[in-house]
Amino acid sequence: MSENTVKIKSLPSEKKRKETDWLFGMSGKATFIAAFAAILIFCFLDAVHPGKAWIPNYVKYVAACALIYAIAGIGINFHSGYIGETSLGHAAFYGIGAYVTGFLTTRADMNFWLTIPIGMIFAAICALPVGWAGTRVRGSFMVVITYGYSEILRYIAINSLTLGGTSGISGIPTPTILGVKLTKISFLPSNKDGFILILFFIVAFLGFFTWRIVHSRVGYAFAAIREDSIAATAMGINVKGYKILALILSAVICSLAGSFYAGFSNFVAPDLLSATLSITIFTILVVGGRRTIPGAVLGAFIIVIFPELLRMVQEILHLSFDPWYILYGVLLVVIMRFKPEGIFGRKDN
Amino acid sequence: MLPYSALLKREKSMTVFIQQIINGLAQGGIYALIAIGWTTVFGIVGIMNWTHGEVYMLGAYVGYFLTTSAGFSLFPALLISMAAGAVIAMLIDQIGYVPLRKNGTIVQSGFITALGLSTFLRYSANAGFTASPRVYPELLQYRLITLFSAGGTEITINSIHFMILIGTVIIMVILQLFFSRTIIGKAMLAGSQDMKTLALMGADAEVLIKVTFAISGALGAAAGFFMGTLYTIFPTMGALAGLKGWACAILGGIGSITGSLVGGILIGIAENLTSGLISTGYKDAISFIIMILVLLIRPTGLMGYKFEEKV
Repeated sequence: MSENTVKIKSLPSEKKRKETDWLFGMSGKATFIAAFAAILIFCFLDAVHPGKAWIPNYVKYVAACALIYAIAGIGINFHSGYIGETSLGHAAFYGIGAYVTGFLTTRADMNFWLTIPIGMIFAAICALPVGWAGTRVRGSFMVVITYGYSEILRYIAINSLTLGGTSGISGIPTPTILGVKLTKISFLPSNKDGFILILFFIVAFLGFFTWRIVHSRVGYAFAAIREDSIAATAMGINVKGYKILALILSAVICSLAGSFYAGFSNFVAPDLLSATLSITIFTILVVGGRRTIPGAVLGAFIIVIFPELLRMVQEILHLSFDPWYILYGVLLVVIMRFKPEGIFGRKDN
Repeated sequence: MLPYSALLKREKSMTVFIQQIINGLAQGGIYALIAIGWTTVFGIVGIMNWTHGEVYMLGAYVGYFLTTSAGFSLFPALLISMAAGAVIAMLIDQIGYVPLRKNGTIVQSGFITALGLSTFLRYSANAGFTASPRVYPELLQYRLITLFSAGGTEITINSIHFMILIGTVIIMVILQLFFSRTIIGKAMLAGSQDMKTLALMGADAEVLIKVTFAISGALGAAAGFFMGTLYTIFPTMGALAGLKGWACAILGGIGSITGSLVGGILIGIAENLTSGLISTGYKDAISFIIMILVLLIRPTGLMGYKFEEKV
């Protein structure tokens, strides 16, 4: 009997965790060092080889965008991954972050870094009604609630003159560090590198943060709720509280991504609240794998790089339409058919 | 006592109010048709068929080509586009959902597959038909029919709105008869309660599901066709209309045909009143606000039965 217990205890849960939670079976530390080395090479390759740009500025732009989406992907992971709901409305929180940053930096001359926590608080407050709704309805009904919520916010943004209406807010200043603009740091070869480095550290920190949360009391509660919320209630887990907590966590992280988007592109528009963006954020998670951290990051890179590649195809073939969305639909169908758990995901039992 | 002018004004605003309600009826009928398409599939297959908005859009385009290039008149064009919608919906089921049902992953993957198919169809249509909006030819002579006159102002309904309203009601009556009188209709009602037991009783589940998709597609295409006679059509029209249909289904109660009709008409009226009395900008947002409130306050809707086990 005792032997059996020992056997059960030594089930390969530890091994599994290492394999699936981080890239290529490496530990978190090793993944971080490898990724950091890669990003340093990516950023400084042109500095050691002056005269000729090996990596075009355009590629760096795409990389920065992908890192911003990676933040949003990690954010939605809490709601649509760990708690097991489906949200088609996370653009709402992304857009809230972007609009708060855009509004406060242009209208109130506030420092960019100060607007981030304000945006986060605002997103958390705006997430409360949705979170409350999430404790009452589930599944398909949660999908339409989140979708409808972000649409309502979009109509508010379109119809509000203070938020710039359909044209949005332009002329958002680039964030500065010690008085130097992030795009004008002297020792960096291109104007995107400052953003890339900062975003990289944020993504790495959020990955670590998610990992710690998931392997804590809170994360185990999320897992219990996801697998069987009635059983979780019976175990004494505060299901409603944890559901709202998951949504607020994801809203706050998405708002951070939105704030950076506003500082990076210097421009926000009601499109940031659109369902198309919500679906994109959700797809990041589905493609990469729900409940995985590298999946969220890799999914973001796929979702950002593929359209850019296809835009080149469009230019070469002189197509009058963007082939990306057609392929994007096919991609979703194919993934659901052959690998429904996503690239890094684990099969559900 | 109010002065005479104020009394007149109030009278006027009352007639404007009634006129707005009547204008909302036709729009509401269209939403109701979309709503029934959602709710039948949701009841029987148990998935949120996100492609429904796209079937609606394709139905509108089929109607457009039938009435322009092929020169069909109103009634045959409507019937053919309904048939086309049924075929499209069955094809969607065959390509998208049948493999998932065989794998047994329909519950987890059905919704995302639907999302992918819907994106694919929408943007393929965008590529094939170009993004520029198109206008149906005049299929029915536009004229105002006076319903009654109140306080010197005539309350009117235009002939196209009237046609849509009558068409919707006829379709609903046929559908209600189908569900209550035919064996397939009864089997579908039973299936929406418990598909597994029904299959054990000897009913062919696949056939039932195909019939469900055909009905849903036909109704969606009819809604698209009616929409085409009212406004311009464009490839991304399905996104918003599809969700509004879902809002109507929730308001009326998932699984209830009468409820969908009532929900659709109420939302159509609410939209018209919003654009008339508050602001045109919030016209499209009102249905979502209603939907969220209904889900929070009374999740079964106005006439729905208990559907918790489906959730």
